[in-house]
Amino acid sequence: MSLRRLKGVSVKRTAAFVVVMVAGISLMLWAGWHNLRERRLAAQKAQENHVVLVPDTGTSAGGAAQGGNTGGMTTAQDEPLKGKPAPAFTLVNLDGKKVSLSDYKGRPVIVNFWATWCAPCKLEMPWFEEFRAKYAGQGFEILGIAEDDAPKDEIAKTAKRVNVSYPILLTDGKVAPAYGGVDELPTSFYIDRKGLVETETIGLASKDEVEANIKRLVGSGGEAPRTAGVVLPAGGTR
Amino acid sequence: MRLFRGAFLLAWLGAGSLCAQEFGSDAEVKPKAYIVYAAETQTVPAGKPSVVELHFRVLDGYHINSHTPKSEFQIPTNLKLDPAAGVKAGAIEYPAGTTYSFSFDPNEKLDVYSGPFTVKLPVVAVAGEHRLSGTLRYQACDHAACYPPKTLPVDVLLTAK
Repeated sequence: MSLRRLKGVSVKRTAAFVVVMVAGISLMLWAGWHNLRERRLAAQKAQENHVVLVPDTGTSAGGAAQGGNTGGMTTAQDEPLKGKPAPAFTLVNLDGKKVSLSDYKGRPVIVNFWATWCAPCKLEMPWFEEFRAKYAGQGFEILGIAEDDAPKDEIAKTAKRVNVSYPILLTDGKVAPAYGGVDELPTSFYIDRKGLVETETIGLASKDEVEANIKRLVGSGGEAPRTAGVVLPAGGTR
Repeated sequence: MRLFRGAFLLAWLGAGSLCAQEFGSDAEVKPKAYIVYAAETQTVPAGKPSVVELHFRVLDGYHINSHTPKSEFQIPTNLKLDPAAGVKAGAIEYPAGTTYSFSFDPNEKLDVYSGPFTVKLPVVAVAGEHRLSGTLRYQACDHAACYPPKTLPVDVLLTAK
């Protein structure tokens, strides 16, 4: 009797052991598969965002600057300001006039942080200028904040060199922290007509991506108020 | 009982591995510095002109402007060392950068350091141990974004015999 009981217990233990082993091995296999899938997705995403630095061969194909195939957008994985009111600011432009974000109330606006030493910034700025003209009818505007220690004349020189006419504002050292501490450039905040941050982008996006974001921005929140139109506020010109 | 422990350990390892992957997939954390420098003591002949090499390495995926960037707006890599008693330092020698351009904008020329690079410092030192302190100022970018200029503390340790 006792021998049977012992045998029964032994069989149960073996069965339980087998179940635990199978569960453990299954979990490990699933974890491995999950890891591989995550890596593949990450690699795919990295490939999409990859912009290649190429050794200079001395030849330049100007057409390549169109940016349609750059795919270099780095969208913030964490956008703490998304859906929240854009932090207010009042800064001075290159003419020394005060410009506030509230001057553009009711208009879709991009607040773009850039610097004179930032090559990718200078590449996308002419695109902004082009889209500013294209979507002017919807009240669209760009505010370029130079997050830079460079003297004002150097900032002005750079803005002129990249042919931008939208308002260039000088940082006060407080605006970037208010926007979450901008530590990579370019960084842009797409602010809708209600004054809410719709999108935040970090790093250079492709020209197509930039336009897609602008289209979404100008298409949201109804028409521009009559008072806004395409007329810039007094302090909003360079 | 030993078998149960083994099975439990196996299951626990599987779960642990899974958890590690979940936490590992968090948002990418940017480094605080984009260059590493290891101070290594170098021995030079006392009283004779010598060259001390300072070995830096730009982290993978980043590049910094060389000492002579192509544009006046780009911030050059610059080493500044404080004078030290017993050491007469000459003009710092920087390596040539590599000329690059972004694939989407061949007109914008960059002259950069990536990976390891060596800065040379001509010295004449009196016998003894010396330390030259200073900073390397640089500005880094990756494939799509740039980072504000940074300064890296640099200590040059040398023994003159």
